[in-house]
Amino acid sequence: MDIAITGLRRSFGRVAALRGVDLTVPGGMFGLLGGNGAGKTTLMRIMAGVLAPGAGQVSIGGHDMTSRAGRRAVQRRLGYLPQDLGLYPDLSPRELLDYVALLKGLDDPAARRRQIGELLDTVGLTDVAGRRIKGFSGGMRRRLGIAQALLGDPTLLVVDEPTAGLDPEERIRFRTLLAGLAGHRTVLLSTHIVEDIAQTCHDTAVLTAGQVIYTGPVTELTRAAEGATWEVRTTGAPPADGVVVSAVNSGDGFRYRVVSPTRPAPEAAPVPPTLEDGYVALMRRHASTRAAEPATRTAARARWGRR
Amino acid sequence: MTGVRETLAVARYEFRMQIRKQSLWITVGLLACLLAAGRFGMGPRYAPAPSGAPAREVMTRWAFLFSVILPIAFGMALADRLLRDRRLRTAELLASLPPGPAGRLAGTWLGSVTATGTPALLAMLVAAGYEAVRRGDPATLGWGLAAFAAVLAPALVFVAGYALVCPLVLTAPLFRVLFVGYWFWGNLALPVTLPTLTGSLLTPVGSYAASWLLGTPVLQAGIPGPLPFLRPAPTTSAAAASIALLVVAGLLPLLAAGLLRTRRHPA
Repeated sequence: MDIAITGLRRSFGRVAALRGVDLTVPGGMFGLLGGNGAGKTTLMRIMAGVLAPGAGQVSIGGHDMTSRAGRRAVQRRLGYLPQDLGLYPDLSPRELLDYVALLKGLDDPAARRRQIGELLDTVGLTDVAGRRIKGFSGGMRRRLGIAQALLGDPTLLVVDEPTAGLDPEERIRFRTLLAGLAGHRTVLLSTHIVEDIAQTCHDTAVLTAGQVIYTGPVTELTRAAEGATWEVRTTGAPPADGVVVSAVNSGDGFRYRVVSPTRPAPEAAPVPPTLEDGYVALMRRHASTRAAEPATRTAARARWGRR
Repeated sequence: MTGVRETLAVARYEFRMQIRKQSLWITVGLLACLLAAGRFGMGPRYAPAPSGAPAREVMTRWAFLFSVILPIAFGMALADRLLRDRRLRTAELLASLPPGPAGRLAGTWLGSVTATGTPALLAMLVAAGYEAVRRGDPATLGWGLAAFAAVLAPALVFVAGYALVCPLVLTAPLFRVLFVGYWFWGNLALPVTLPTLTGSLLTPVGSYAASWLLGTPVLQAGIPGPLPFLRPAPTTSAAAASIALLVVAGLLPLLAAGLLRTRRHPA
C-alpha cells in the first residue's frame, strides 16, 4: 500500500505539530524516527484516520485521507497499534479480539474464531486467552495490541512506539514479530528508539519539529556520521566538542563515543558509525542550520535597512 | 458492514461489560430488597395490593414502588459509560476502526441501557413470581413485564440519555451528586413547596403510566404546578404522551452528543 504525503500540516490550537511534511512510503517496513514532540504520533494518527489532515495531501493506497470516505476506506484495510494503547480490563483477550473483529467487519463467526485462535497463537497468548486483561503485564498488553491490529489481515500496519516500556527480551521478540509481518504489507513503525529501526527497517524518515529532515535507506542515514564518529579514552572530563553518544567507565578511565565533525580531542580515534551516530549527526547538522537561519535573516534585514 | 451491524456489535460488547459490573447488581439488588421490605411503612399507595386485587394493579404497584428510587441506581451505573473510553484510553483504538462515532454512540447506548435495565427487570420478575405463587395468579408475570415496560423502561431511557452525556461536561462524580438532587426535586418534591416538574408528563418516576395502569391518579400525576400544559388529567392518551415525551427527551442529549462528536472528530 503506497503512501504519498505532500505539504501536510496539522495544528492543535496555536501549536503546529506538522509543518509541511513531504514523504513517500513505497511499501514493506518503513521506520519513522524522531524525538519526543517531533510530530510522529500526529502523523501516525493521520495515517490511521483518527485525525483529519489540517492542510496538504495524504494518499494511502490511492485513497484521499482528507475526505471521510477515503479515511473509512483505508480503515477497512488498516491495523493500528496506538502509542497509548488502552484495553478493556474486564474482557478476556479472546473477547477483545472478537469485539475488534466485529467492528472490522469480520461477520462470519467461524472465520472470526479461526483467525482469533491463530493470532493468539502468533503472539503467544493462547494459554491466557480466557483470562481477564486486567492482570496482564505491559508486554502481554502490547502483544494483544498487535494481535488486534492484525485482525482482518490488513495491508497497512501503523504501529506507534510499540516497544516503549518493554523489557529487552520482550522488545526483541516484538521487533522480530513486526519484521516478519512486513512481507506482504506496508508496516509503518514510529519510534524514538533508534535500535528498533536499525534492526527492522530498510528505509526510514527522520522527523523533527513537525518536518521531515531525512528520508531514505537506513544505511545512508548511518553514513551521515561517517568520518565524524570518534572514540575517546580519557581519565579526564568528556570532550567539550561534539555530542557524547555513550560513556563507559572502563575502570582506569572513561571511554566516550563522540559524534563531531572535527576531532574532539587529540587522543580521539575514528570508529565506524552506527545508525544512532548517523541520527545524532543529522540532528546536530539540522540544529546548526536552523540556528544559522535567524542570524542570516537578521543580517539580511540589517543590509536592507541600511539602504 | 452496515450501520445497524456496527451498532449491534458495539451494543453486544457494551452489554457484556456493563452486565459484569458488580456495583450495578449490588446497588439495584439492595435497593429493590429495601423497597420491598420497607413498602409497608411507605404509605397506602406503596403497600401491597389487597388480596383479590387484579394482577394489573398488583404489578403496577410493584413497578411504581421500584420507580421511586431504582432510576437513581440507573443514573449512577451509567454515568461513566461514555467517559470510560477516554479513561481507559480505548477511544484512540476505536476511532481507528471503520464504525463512525454515531454508530459507536448508538451501540454504547443500546448495550449499556439494556444491561442496566436487566437487574431491574429481574427484580420485577422476582416480584411477579412471588405474587404468582402467593396469589395463584400467573397473569402477574405478564403484567410484571407490562408494568416494567410502561413505568420503569421510559424512566431508564430518560435517565440514560442524561447520565451518559452530562458527565462528558460535568464529570461523573459531580453528575451523580446533581442527579440525586434532581431526582428528589423533579420527581418527589411537591409543586406547592417549590417550582418543580413533579406530577408532569416529563416526570420520569412514571406517574402518568402508573395512573393509567391503575385507573386512578397516583404519584401526583396532573397535580397543579408550573407549566400547566404539561399537567393534563391522567388518561390513556396522557400516559402515552408521557412515555413518548420521556423517550424523546432522553434521546435528545444523545442526538446532540452524536452530532457534536461527528463534528469534533470528522475522521
